[in-house]
Amino acid sequence: MTDLTHANVKREMEVYGYDRVVRSHCRMCHGGCGVLVYTRKGRVEKIAGDPDCPINHGTLCSKGLASAQLAYHPDRLTHPVRRIGPKGSGRWERISWDQALDTIAERMLRYKTDCGAESIVMGYGTGRENEAVIYRFANYLGTPNVLTAGHFCYGPRIATSILTCGTNPIVDYENHPRCIMVWGNNLVISNPDCYKGEPFSVSLNRGAKLIAVDPRLTRIASRADIWLPLRPGTDAALAYGMLHVIVTEKLYDHAFVENHVHGWEPFCRRVQAYPPEKVEEITWVPAEKIRQAARLFAATKPAAIQWGVAIEQQVNCADNDRLLMFLMGLTGNIDVPGGQVLFRTPRIRNVGQFGAHRDLPESQRRKRLGGDRFRLAGNFAIINPKCVWDAILEEEPYPVKMLFFISSNPLLTRANAREVYRALERVDFMAVSDFFITPTAEMADIVLPAATWLEMDYIGDFWKRHGYLLPRRKVIEVGECRSDHEMLNDLAHRVGQGKHWWDNFEQALDWILEPMGITWQEFEQMDYVRGEVEYQKYKTRGFSTPTGKFELYSTMLEKWGCDPLPTYREPPESPVSTPELFKDYPYILITGARQPGFFHTENRQVPWLRELHPDPEVQIHPETARREGIREGDWVTIESPRGRVRQRAWLFAGMDPRIVSAQHAWWFPEKRDPGHGWAESNINLLTDNAYESCDPAMGATSVRTLLCRIAPEDGKGAS
Amino acid sequence: MQKPSLFIDAFYCWGCKTCEVACKQENRAPAGVKLIRIHEDAPREIGGRMQVLFGVTVCRHCEDPPCADACPVEAITVRSDGIVILDRDPCTGCGACLEACPYGAIGLDDEAGVAWKCNLCHHRLDRGLLPACADNVCLAHCIHLQTRAAASGAAVSGK
Repeated sequence: MTDLTHANVKREMEVYGYDRVVRSHCRMCHGGCGVLVYTRKGRVEKIAGDPDCPINHGTLCSKGLASAQLAYHPDRLTHPVRRIGPKGSGRWERISWDQALDTIAERMLRYKTDCGAESIVMGYGTGRENEAVIYRFANYLGTPNVLTAGHFCYGPRIATSILTCGTNPIVDYENHPRCIMVWGNNLVISNPDCYKGEPFSVSLNRGAKLIAVDPRLTRIASRADIWLPLRPGTDAALAYGMLHVIVTEKLYDHAFVENHVHGWEPFCRRVQAYPPEKVEEITWVPAEKIRQAARLFAATKPAAIQWGVAIEQQVNCADNDRLLMFLMGLTGNIDVPGGQVLFRTPRIRNVGQFGAHRDLPESQRRKRLGGDRFRLAGNFAIINPKCVWDAILEEEPYPVKMLFFISSNPLLTRANAREVYRALERVDFMAVSDFFITPTAEMADIVLPAATWLEMDYIGDFWKRHGYLLPRRKVIEVGECRSDHEMLNDLAHRVGQGKHWWDNFEQALDWILEPMGITWQEFEQMDYVRGEVEYQKYKTRGFSTPTGKFELYSTMLEKWGCDPLPTYREPPESPVSTPELFKDYPYILITGARQPGFFHTENRQVPWLRELHPDPEVQIHPETARREGIREGDWVTIESPRGRVRQRAWLFAGMDPRIVSAQHAWWFPEKRDPGHGWAESNINLLTDNAYESCDPAMGATSVRTLLCRIAPEDGKGAS
Repeated sequence: MQKPSLFIDAFYCWGCKTCEVACKQENRAPAGVKLIRIHEDAPREIGGRMQVLFGVTVCRHCEDPPCADACPVEAITVRSDGIVILDRDPCTGCGACLEACPYGAIGLDDEAGVAWKCNLCHHRLDRGLLPACADNVCLAHCIHLQTRAAASGAAVSGK
């Protein structure tokens, strides 16, 4: 490890009398920034960004800085508990780890014997880098059912990029794109996946052209050279409109198309269906602006698309991802410096190998819930949540008896929350591992205390595609909390899977690192490792796709009986697809705009973070507010055909007056009753999870675009 | 005398509020009291197009601070280097400084009955460290400490 010679590190230590500083890797979100953790007498006193880290260059976000407030929170669960009252009664008793894990193991083995391993569903939320270990556990247990956010978050990018060009193309901010198209993403707030706001910000300040695609005028959209405020859910049409311009004006990279593309002719025929004038009608974006954006993006080299989850939580999930990749590819920006690079992971046993997907017997794989309906998801070990709720409630196609959620709060984060509640109420047995007893955990039989990133050793960014690996070093212990990795390693022995696991989890880290010829103890002494960086690898080796080409026409999707070319589908609820419903629910509701400090359902009990944003807020255009009799700060009701919740009005003129934008994942830990207000402001009481509303290949639920009406809560609205 | 001050170019602010939490971590201001505060301004037309900008509220360390004049117990003083210090020990929480501050940059801890404001992390500055908010936390790199002879204190600019 590099000596911490940075002047202010030494000075911080002296001035404050810290006795130790640990270089580690934050995990307060999906992100992963280099951090310095200062301690005194074994207690974390200060967290700062690591100035030498190539990911964040010393900067950090509010969540990372507040990590110690999470770790030491007085409400934190610090020992296993067993429920002693009815579900949702909030009555718990402390038990030992042995009692907890033996109970869980006994249940697992019983259900496996009686109903088959597929009756046990493992689950995680946005993933605390526990995804590989959870898949490993599930695969060796023999269940094909791991319920994650993967159907509508990141999973689609991985799945579709593997189909199209072999791996996820990552924006190469280190080489400064000259044009950045930010599409459905607010990375300066969310710092998502392989990206941080800081390098984006730096590239922009160095003069990159900026195109923003967002229904809302974010600060990014404000700074854009061209802002395309599209009608929510019409991304695929807009992307096709831009591709139409690029094809008809021959702005594409001719050599790339000639030598490295599969399916050019059928793609060109399909693209003819989307001339800019028609796309204008669909998207509300003027045809001339579509042309301008397409020309700017195609003519500026290198250019890159900064995409986000908003395009995936739609009925067009997989096709949105593919169309944006087509824009990257056809403009010659794939695998070039400053474009989007197919980075290599260092030579380790990767998440796929560690996840032991090949060791799930084929007979079990075939039982994957929804695997026949959502073929793309099923082939990437991803399932649609409704399939699980149906299996619990209707026992179709077979009963699911046990849920094991690890850092997941589906009552808040999955569509149609009433149905989720009924399923959690009904399921025979549920275990949860988390930091707090969340509304979901309140429905469990056993809750295990999970460790935060400050309390574990791990290979940080193990699963990412930017090519870096960074050591996460354990700094503290809190109560009896254990990392999910250690917990599952222990549990695996108790369910008879010990031969696939280790005596302790450090040995697993050694196994992951072994191909590089280093151990965890050695890696822990390093700052980071990075895979070899090489550009335009496809020129000599082709793409890692069945044809070896960049597949516009997907041979895999064709094989699975899906449309091999992307298409635009109207959102399942919209002024166009459901005009009758639109009369009663006259606004387009979009959900899930990210707020600083929160990571989905997390951090609402962390004082420094909750203070950034005390109440759930819904953005309403001032004209709309006037029409509905709503004033700034009023509590308003938002209602869809499925439910009604309350949030506070935030009048916002930066979007079309026909749009309303509500926040997601709200609950109120300060409410001490076991429900913790989960049904008050939870936008997923309004969202729909019908199979017909989901992406046909990926099973993504359409939680971002629906119809709603709004009214002042006091009932004195205009109508 | 060189005057240290914050330079914040709010044009570049993304509204991530990291500076607010960095300040909390350092100064441990009580709940509801913010020594630096980021707020999203309502969209407005600038240069022929709609713009969203973030504003920053923080003590400007005025040359002739009205808060110091208003304080009945002389808890607010101007150092020789121009930093305006609010000493919470003598403060009675009367709130006169809050009224006097033209920028709304002073907060009141109702429970303890004391006022709080940004003292430019003078306890860090005096020991060779940067103020918490300006210590390379900002992902936009838009908060810096500057030292200059000029008249005004914290410069908060827009474009």
